[in-house]
Amino acid sequence: MSSAKPSTKPSLAAKPGQRGIDPRGPRFGAGITAALLLIVVALSLLTPVGATAISRASEPGFIVFAIITILFGWGAIAGIQRHPYGAVFRALVSPRLRPPTELEDPIPPTFSQGVGFVITLAGVTLHLLGVPFGLLITASAAFIAAFLNSVFGYCLGCQIYLLLLRAGILGRTAAPTT
Amino acid sequence: MTAETVVVSLVTLVALVALSTVIGLLWRARQGQVTQSGDETVVKVRDVPGVARFAPGATLVQFSTQVCAPCRATHTVLETAASEYANVTHVDVDLTQRPDIAKRFRVMQTPTTLILDSKGRVRARIGGAARPGSVRAEIDRILAT
Repeated sequence: MSSAKPSTKPSLAAKPGQRGIDPRGPRFGAGITAALLLIVVALSLLTPVGATAISRASEPGFIVFAIITILFGWGAIAGIQRHPYGAVFRALVSPRLRPPTELEDPIPPTFSQGVGFVITLAGVTLHLLGVPFGLLITASAAFIAAFLNSVFGYCLGCQIYLLLLRAGILGRTAAPTT
Repeated sequence: MTAETVVVSLVTLVALVALSTVIGLLWRARQGQVTQSGDETVVKVRDVPGVARFAPGATLVQFSTQVCAPCRATHTVLETAASEYANVTHVDVDLTQRPDIAKRFRVMQTPTTLILDSKGRVRARIGGAARPGSVRAEIDRILAT
C-alpha cells in the first residue's frame, strides 16, 4: 500500500533473504546472446544444410546455437546469478560502470532464460530432424527477443508468462482463498 | 558459396536487425500510454484483493506478475506518486494468485495500471511501464473533477 516514502526504494530489491542483482547484467548477457544468434543466422544462411543428422550436428552455425541453448538451460536451472555472462559482467563491465541505482529481483530474468531455452531447444530438435529452415527461423526469433531485451529492455518472458497465466497453464486457477 | 548467397545473407541480416529495431521503437513509444475513459466501467471493492475501500481521491490499481521486471519499477513510480497525495492509494495485484482478474480486466500486458476515482470508476488505464509525469497528470485530472 502507500506507506513508502518517496526517498526510499525498497520495493525494487529482491525478496528478503535473496540478494538483488544489477539489472544491467542480464541486458549485457542478452547483448552477447543476440550477437551470437546473429552469427548463427549468418552461418545457417551461408552453409548448406547437411544430409544426415551427424553432418547437420557438425555445422558451425549449429554448434554455436547448441552452446547458446546450453547456456540458456544453465541460466534457467542454476539461476541468472550463476550465469557465466553474469560473471563476465561482474568482472569486466560492472567495475567500469557507476554502481546500480537499484537492484532487481533475479526471478524475472531467470524465467526469461527458461523461455530462451525452450525456443532454442526447439531449434536444435528441428535442425537435427532435418526440418528445413528450422534452425534459421528459431535462431531469428530468439535473436529478435534477445535484441529487444538488450537494446530496449523488452521482456518477452513477462508477456509469455501472462499469456500462460490467462490460458490457465500457470498460476493459481482456483477461486480466491483470501 | 556463391556471391548471390552472400548478398542474400547480408540483406537478410540487415533486414532482421532493422525489423527488430522497428519493433522495439514501436513498443517503446507505446509504453506507459494512457487511455482515458470517462466511462461507466465501475470496479467493485471486492473485485480488487487487498482493498477495503477506495481512497477518497484516487486508487492506483496495478496488475503485476512475479516474473515481470518492469512491474517493480512501476510499483515504485506508483508508490511514490500515491505518497505525494493524501487521498490517493496504490495497490499492486499479483496476477499469479488471481488469473481470473487478468481475464476480467482484459490485462494483455504487465504492468497494467487502472486509475479509479473515489466511486471505483475506471478513469484511466496505463499499458506498460508507467511514467511518473503522466500518472500525476491523471491523478490531478481526477481530483479536479
